[in-house]
Amino acid sequence: MDITLFIFISMAMFAIGIIGVLAMRNTLIFFLSIELMLNAANLLFVSFARHWENQTGLIWVFFVLVVAAAEAAVGLAIIINLFRSKQIVDLDQYNVLRG
Amino acid sequence: MASLGVILARKPVHSSLFFLLTLLSLSALYLQLSAQFIAVMQVLIYAGAILVIFMFVIVLFQDAYQQISQLQAKSAPLLLIAAATAILLTVSFLGKQLLDITPAKADTIEGFGSVQQLGQALYIDFFFPFEAVILLFLVAVVGALYIGKRET
Repeated sequence: MDITLFIFISMAMFAIGIIGVLAMRNTLIFFLSIELMLNAANLLFVSFARHWENQTGLIWVFFVLVVAAAEAAVGLAIIINLFRSKQIVDLDQYNVLRG
Repeated sequence: MASLGVILARKPVHSSLFFLLTLLSLSALYLQLSAQFIAVMQVLIYAGAILVIFMFVIVLFQDAYQQISQLQAKSAPLLLIAAATAILLTVSFLGKQLLDITPAKADTIEGFGSVQQLGQALYIDFFFPFEAVILLFLVAVVGALYIGKRET
């Protein structure tokens, strides 16, 4: 079982996620890109757990899944609230935290 | 890869459907890596819960997201910087030690990645982190409810 291919896939997914976060202006796509990066990390966890035959990696994937779910719930609530108050979806136009 | 579709699709609905495709193929990859439990959890939690929340948000603000169709990606130099960062990160992890990873044994230890083994590890070795993560999730859900309720 060669895990090099899985590592490459994971890195490609992470790179796509970074591009999505840095270059896209849609809030939802921004959020999906974050999930993409989390998934890339998960894939890396699983492939190395398989490689070293160590189940700790799988346990960590479980924790990452739970944290991702919590993050999605809170983040989407924040997005909904932001949208209700501002009526825009362009990330660059959110500047309420600007000092 | 389907994940390219996530950031390239114009409409958010298409983009999240591409995300679903990514998740399902990831689940297949997990099965290949003989991690059945994680594969099932992936479909249950991501496809079943997170994506449904995304869909709800998209449906709720459907009219508002019409303006997205006109929304262009950021300027070319910024896109270039993003791509350069991504490639740099990828290459920096691509040290030569990656290339001489020895292939693992084809057959895993008995019951690797099975629900029984993982459950034992989760409840015996990782009991405290497990409880902590439950608490975190509870707090997150309460916080999300509070944020959602405050406006009305």
